[in-house]
Amino acid sequence: MDKRLKINGQIRDFGDQLPPTLSELLKLLHIDQATVVAEVDGRIIPRTAFGQTELKDDAVIELVRFVGGG
Amino acid sequence: MAKMPCPFFELRNAVVGIAGLGGLGSNVAAALTRLRVGKLILADFDAVEESNLNRQNYFHDQVGIHKVDASIENLRRIDPDANLVGYKIRLNPDNIPQVFAGAHIIAECFDRADQKQMIVETVLSKMKKTIVVTVSGLAGFGRSNEITTTRLSPRLVFIGDGVSGTGPGVPLTAGRVGIAAYHQANAITEILLNELNFMLLRGGTWTND
Repeated sequence: MDKRLKINGQIRDFGDQLPPTLSELLKLLHIDQATVVAEVDGRIIPRTAFGQTELKDDAVIELVRFVGGG
Repeated sequence: MAKMPCPFFELRNAVVGIAGLGGLGSNVAAALTRLRVGKLILADFDAVEESNLNRQNYFHDQVGIHKVDASIENLRRIDPDANLVGYKIRLNPDNIPQVFAGAHIIAECFDRADQKQMIVETVLSKMKKTIVVTVSGLAGFGRSNEITTTRLSPRLVFIGDGVSGTGPGVPLTAGRVGIAAYHQANAITEILLNELNFMLLRGGTWTND
């Protein structure tokens, strides 16, 4: 069965291989790592740990993205 | 002199942190002072510049003055009894929990996207009893109704249109920045009125983990 992630409430299929880490997922989504807060399965992942955070099938990921201005 | 009216006495127990005193923070601070929130913790590292006056709550004769001092001066003109604590400091993941110790809610009022990321990550991961109200996507003008308030999780409120960043040809304007700032102030008011008693009960003496 296809591997999938739930990202901001939407299920996304990745075929037979998930991006191995959160960092790889963000690259795939063209998201600048400096401007996103990420939660995986209810845990806030510090930006410095994106590269070591492995993604498992059916993980629930919340991404909050920031743009400048204030 | 008569005391300023206090519409909600329970808010006298509230502590709110304001991270950054620019277009968002200077206006949020004024709104919360008018509401007579018990204590405001203000933090910024910068001085008022001419270019700030198009949207920030400062005055021409305050150019060159530190934003913390200028804010305190302005807020005390609203309420001479306001309980204000100022930090002239550049916030980082190490000092944020100390500067804002005791705050029930922190308003993220930075300008740069990576700084917004930094404080939201820090509050969510290091200050387990504090709510953060953040803003992303307020540049330009018009499109008032695209700025929304969303409670993404119990401790994270997200305000803005999510996409309108500053850049060449996309200025920050008083109206749209002000709308976002007042969304922030209104979200903070709502949370405090609905949840402060619960937060105080749960926290006892309020301390962060």
